[in-house]
Order: sequence, then structure tokens, then C-alpha cells
Amino acid sequence: MAANLDGAGARAQSGAAEVLRGHQLAKSYGGHLVLKHVDFSIGRGEIVAVIGENGAGKSTFAKIIAGVVQPEAGQIYMGGREVSIQSPRDALRLGIAYIPQELAYLSNRTVADNILLGRWPHRAGVTSDEAIASTAAAEARKFGIELHVNWRMADLTLAERQLVEIVKALARSSEVLVLDEPTASLTSGESRKLFGILRQLVRSGLSVIFISHRMDEVFEVSDRVVVMRNGDVVGDVATRDATRPQLISLMLGAAAEELGEQRRDRVLTQPALELRGWTWSGEPPIRDFNITVHRGEIVTLFGLRGSGGEAIAEGLAGRNSKFSGKVVVENREFSVFRTITASKRAGIGYLPAERKRDGLIMPLSVQTNLSLLVLRALSRFGLTDAAEERRMAKRMRDTLQIRLRSMSQPVVTLSGGNQQKVVLGSRLLAQPRVLVLQEPTRGVDVGARFEIHHYLRGIAEQGTAILWVTTDVEEAVLVADRLVVLREGSIVAELTGASKTQGQAVAMAAKDAA
Amino acid sequence: MARIVGDKTEAAIEPPQETARGQSALSGRTRLALGAMQGLGLGGFYIIVLIYFSLSAPYFFSTSNVVNILSNISVIGIVTLGQAYVLIAGGFDLSVSGTVPLGGVIFTMLINRGLNIPEAWLIAVLAGCGIGLANGLIITRIGINALVTTLGTWSITVGLAYVVTNGETVAFKDLNQGPIDNVVLGMPLYVWTMILISLIAFAVLRFTVFGRMIYAIGGNREASRLAGIRVDLVTTSVYVISGGLGAFAGVMLAQQLLAGAPTVGANAALNSIAAVILGGAALSGGVGGIPGTVVGVLVLGTIANGMALMQVPSFYQQIATGAILLVAVGFGRLRAIFGQLAG
Repeated sequence: MAANLDGAGARAQSGAAEVLRGHQLAKSYGGHLVLKHVDFSIGRGEIVAVIGENGAGKSTFAKIIAGVVQPEAGQIYMGGREVSIQSPRDALRLGIAYIPQELAYLSNRTVADNILLGRWPHRAGVTSDEAIASTAAAEARKFGIELHVNWRMADLTLAERQLVEIVKALARSSEVLVLDEPTASLTSGESRKLFGILRQLVRSGLSVIFISHRMDEVFEVSDRVVVMRNGDVVGDVATRDATRPQLISLMLGAAAEELGEQRRDRVLTQPALELRGWTWSGEPPIRDFNITVHRGEIVTLFGLRGSGGEAIAEGLAGRNSKFSGKVVVENREFSVFRTITASKRAGIGYLPAERKRDGLIMPLSVQTNLSLLVLRALSRFGLTDAAEERRMAKRMRDTLQIRLRSMSQPVVTLSGGNQQKVVLGSRLLAQPRVLVLQEPTRGVDVGARFEIHHYLRGIAEQGTAILWVTTDVEEAVLVADRLVVLREGSIVAELTGASKTQGQAVAMAAKDAA
Repeated sequence: MARIVGDKTEAAIEPPQETARGQSALSGRTRLALGAMQGLGLGGFYIIVLIYFSLSAPYFFSTSNVVNILSNISVIGIVTLGQAYVLIAGGFDLSVSGTVPLGGVIFTMLINRGLNIPEAWLIAVLAGCGIGLANGLIITRIGINALVTTLGTWSITVGLAYVVTNGETVAFKDLNQGPIDNVVLGMPLYVWTMILISLIAFAVLRFTVFGRMIYAIGGNREASRLAGIRVDLVTTSVYVISGGLGAFAGVMLAQQLLAGAPTVGANAALNSIAAVILGGAALSGGVGGIPGTVVGVLVLGTIANGMALMQVPSFYQQIATGAILLVAVGFGRLRAIFGQLAG
């Protein structure tokens, strides 16, 4: 922990005047201290990245600055004067804008309505769609972003919605902009555009607090990195003096050593999952798609968003009945699954991409969520064996290192990575022969991501076949025995061994799309 | 590592974004068309209802009957306007079934004690606003769910109406105290009142910042809070409006009956919610509007009128109201499902 530099020291190097300072900020949830008297400061025109594992307290910290939650102890100073931030409204008044990790927008209203939410142009309280549309378009253009301001939010892609939220916040922030993982659903091109805008804005005096779990972004955009672990600030370094391994070891503490682990080559002969002649006329059209995953093999299906991986994963899960074709699971042949039950019975475990929408019942306990898929096995005459349920849930908690206070804690109170582990755990309890994973580490930070990768490699080595659909090239390369690149519904490359590089994968995925 | 995604490949990554854009343009148009169909749906349905009753109910298609329909819906119409505000804001107001009788009773007792009409009216409406304020504060400050809160205040207000009247209908001492019954330009004043309030309600919801805030908090409370909208204040306001309009409607009803009765208005909550939902709103909030709401009220009122003319016992009206609600909402839902399949 030699790199635990003094925060003020690192800032002093940048020589900027302090714009915001948090002093001894503390917050606990249910008696558990998630933010342990943290000090933080940011100078004018500075971009500070805040990184850390799941539950390290970074989102809580962001929410306190944005007025979304109130700290139990500590003060916030702006320009040297103590300020009171009791609500997002107070924060906005002080020039602090915030984009939450979970986008919050009105899906039934237009883009323009959303950009100007709550501050629509008006004359004596009377406003008009035209005025709102033209003001919103002008604000978006100011940041070099073109948006269809009259479209409904619900009709936009996820990335476009995120851009709308970014414009909304940019237009409101005069002093400090707090971004909680703003690039989660952006392409790398869009992320770069965002970084370009941020750099431009900081030149005119804006300060940015940038919460991220992507190392490359941290190095690309920030001036300074604050590392959090277990509710404490454990590192505060100028980005140009920081190295990737140093930051990772600060984030993970003792867990860091395992990171260097390498994938062993194994001989794989027994097919566990075969897709034969999969065809559908959706978007993108897929014709005669064939793929085989062997026992103990991890095959990553990598492509840009909308290149067909999602459709195939959902087809395998029985969520998309429009496919025609055959599936062979452990030598048993099926036609494409028409129902989710059929897929589950065939021995397929499916991890959906959107854990909140499709994977979890948020208000229910960790234990209930874990046992969701095996309730029948746990029950006799409709009564659940509570002791056995608890035992199974605890075993999963220990195997996946789910960090929680109690098994009866609602999953909604867990951090993103721990929630993801609960979804994964519930699938694993059904003991699937084949795992179909869709974006298993989306919105999950480095630590949990590493743990999930590590665990999945482990069960693959014990013989589970894994089809891993991802749009994250780093992940696709890292975990794969075999990397299959998809473009517009077709397989364009299979990469193994030395040819399995990020550059190659991205080049194949994007080739002649331009 | 991901720096490998160099500038060359980055340029190639953008175009798929364009396909996504085209795709969502299509779905945007489809959605718009579906929305229009849904809007036309209720209007079209209303036209069918009108044609049906014109052919089968005696005297249905006459000026006097049109005035009759409008007269019959004026009280529930005003209640429904308030209910529309609450539902669009993502709430629920059952207590209108209490503010209607309480408003009427308060007005009657006050004029019987010698207050003049405007004074008594104002006090009754303020009492309604007070009930709305209580609803709003309980929901936003204490955090009791709107359904439970207004169920409670419904019961309390109806009980109050019974207590102050001792459970009896109180007749006007001076039978000239119901000027709202006077006919102006061919229609009773209370019909004109309903039309005027509808227009104001429409303009406020459609053209003002306050109206947009109502849609915003109904559409997504958290997004609205993060955007600095005073969600609690706006929420409370819509309950105050609904309470005030409920009592206002109660006063109008008392003037029509020339009496204040604690027994009236029991159906106000259900009928007003049914009309707003029929008009395209959702219980989840954020959608709907006054034009649709007015058509919803008209549909229910016209069917009741037509059935009465055909001498169908009034009990059947209640069955019809429920069936229409389910058919109309179910129809929209089916269309959405088929729309998705077609798309």
C-alpha cells in the first residue's frame, strides 16, 4: 500500500483552486457503514476518476455530492464555504449535476422534454412543445451532439438514451458534474466523443467526478484517480503517475495476486451443445447458423451490439420462438425451444443481460432469489424445505463470494456486482449442463468481474460448457477458449491461440460495416 | 488494452449506430400510428354508441336529450377532471367519493344558516382542498400509499358528512338557492361550468410548466426528483385540485337537488377513474390527457342515458360501465400485442 498518497498532495500538483471538498463524509445503511468518514476534494477544471470494487462506496459518495442521499456525518464545502445539500434540487442550484448509474428518464415523453426536465422554457408558466424542442436542440448542438429531439425516449436505443441523459446533465452543470459509470452502454466511439466534450468543458472551468470501473477510461480521461475500498479512500494519485497494476492492487487489496492467472489449454472432444441450421428473419437476419460448444469449453460469441448474439442467446433460453433449427444438448436433439421451461429442462442455464429486468425480483431476499429456479426440487407437496433452501443459498454465497449482511436482505440493497452474482448463483443451483451467458459482467466493477471470470473458468474446467455472449472485447478475449466473431448475424471468424487478440476481434466484427 | 481499438477501427464502429437509428425511426412511426389508432379507437367507439342509440332508443337524437346527457355528466365530469390530474401524476384518489357528499352537505348547512352562495361555495371548496392537502401530506410526508390513504380519507369524509347531517338529507330552506340550474343559451349553467372547467384543466395540463411537471412526476418520480422538480409539492397540488373539484362538484349537485345528502357520490371514485382510464391514461401514471378524459366521461354518460331511454333498469348501467372499461382497455392491449407481432 505504498502508493497510498495524500489526496491534498496529489491535487496540489495540479495547482487548481479547490471547487468542492467533502470532509469526513459518512453514511451507513442498516447499521453497516458504507462510507467511512471520507475526505475528498476536487479543483476547478479537474477530472477526478473514482474507482473501486463493488460496495466500495463510490456510488454512495456520488449520491451524497448530488444530494440524492444525505450523509450522516461530515460537511461539504464549495469555494471554501460550507453548503447544505439536502436534495438534488439543492445540488443543481449549486451547479452540481449528476447522472446516476441507473438512467432516470421519462420514457413516454420526448427527448426535448427530458433534456429540459423541470426547467422548460416558459412565459408566465406557459410553455410550448416548439419552444422546448428548439431550446433542447440548441443545447444538444452546443455539445456537438445531434439528437432527434421530437422522438419519444422509448423509441431510442439505449446508447441514444444515455446521450440524452448526458446532454441533460451537461446543460445543468456549471460547477461540478458527477457521472456514475456514464459509458456503460456507449460504443467506444461515443465514449470518446463524451470524453472530448468533457475535456472541452473542463477547460472552461467545469470539474468532473467520474465514477468508472473501466481502467482504460480512467487513463484516457482523468487527471487524478481516487481509489476506494470498503468505504475508505485507499489511494489518491495523479493519473500520469499511476499504473494499471498499482490501481488494481489498491482496489482489490489482498485479492489482487490471483489476477495474473492464465488459461490452460485443454483437449476438448465431447460436444455438449450444438446449434444446427438456426435461421430467423429478425434483425439482423440469421441464416443457417451453426456452432458447437464442447464440455469444459468457453466459447465467446463476440460482436457489436445488434449483430445477432443476443438473439441467439435468447433463442437458446426459449425467449425467442421465431427461430427455426435444431439444438443438441448432450446428444439429445431438440427443435428450437419454444418456451423457457423447455430450455431449462434440456439442461440449459441462462443468464439474462438485464439482471434488474429479467434476472432478479428486487424487493425479495437474496435467499429467495437464489432458490428461484430450484423451488420445485426444494418442495414437497408445495411446501418449501426452508432449511435446505438456506443451506443451498449459503453454499452459493460462499462459492461466489457474494458480499451481504444477511441472507434475508433484499437484493435491491446489494451493489451491482453482488446482484449479478446472485443471478448467476440462482442459475448454477439448477446444475445446468450448458451455461448461456449474456453480458455476464455488464455494469460490474473490476473486482467482481474478476471473481465472476475466475469462477466461470473453474466450472468450465470441471466440465460445464459455456456459451458466452458479449459485446465487451476485452472480456471476449480474456475468457475464451475459442472466440467466435459475429457480424450482422453471421460468423465471420473463429479465433484461438495467438490469433485471439482484441485488435483482430474488433477488426473482424466491424469490417466493411462502413 | 482497449487502446487497441484504434482510430481506424473506431470509424468503422459508428455505422451500426445508423442502422439502429433507422430501426427506431420505424418503431417511432409504428408507435405513433398505434397511438393514433388508440385515440381514434375511443372516438370511433363513441360514434358507434351514438349511432346505436339513435337507431334504437326513442328521443335519443334530440337537442333536449343532448342537453340531458351533458347535464347528467356535469357533476361526475368535474370530479373526473381532478381525478385525471391525480392519475397522470401517478396517484389515485378514492376520496372524491367523500368530498362530493361532504362539499354538498357543507354548502347546504352554510346557506341554511344564512351565508350567501359565493361564501358557502368557497368554504365548501376550501374544505375539499383541505382534504386533498391531507391526502397529499399523508402520501408524501408519511409515505402511505395513495390507495390506502385515499381509502382512509374517503371513509372519514363520508363519515363526517353523515355526522354533520345526522345521517339525514338536509333540504335547502330557501329553494331559490340553486341558481346553477338556470338555463343560459339553451343549457343549464352547470353544464357551462363543466365546459369552462374542462377548458381550463386542458390548458393548464397541456400548455403550462405545472402541467408538464404532472406528466413528469407520473412518468418517473426519481428522474423528476433528480431534475430538481419539487415532486412532493406537485403531488400534493394534484390532490388539492382533486379535493377542491370534488367538493365543487358536490356543491353543484346539492344545488341541482336543492338538498345536501351524505348518501350521494358513492360511485364518484370508480366512475371517475373508469372515465380517465377509458380516456387513455394508465394507472402507472405519466400518460393520458383531458380530451380523452372528456370523451371517456361522455361515453359512460351517453350509455347510461341511452340505456335509461330504452328503459333498461339502472342496475345494468353499472354492469355496462365495468364491461366497457374492460373491453376498451383490453382492446387497446390486444392491439398493442398484435402491433408488436406485426412489427
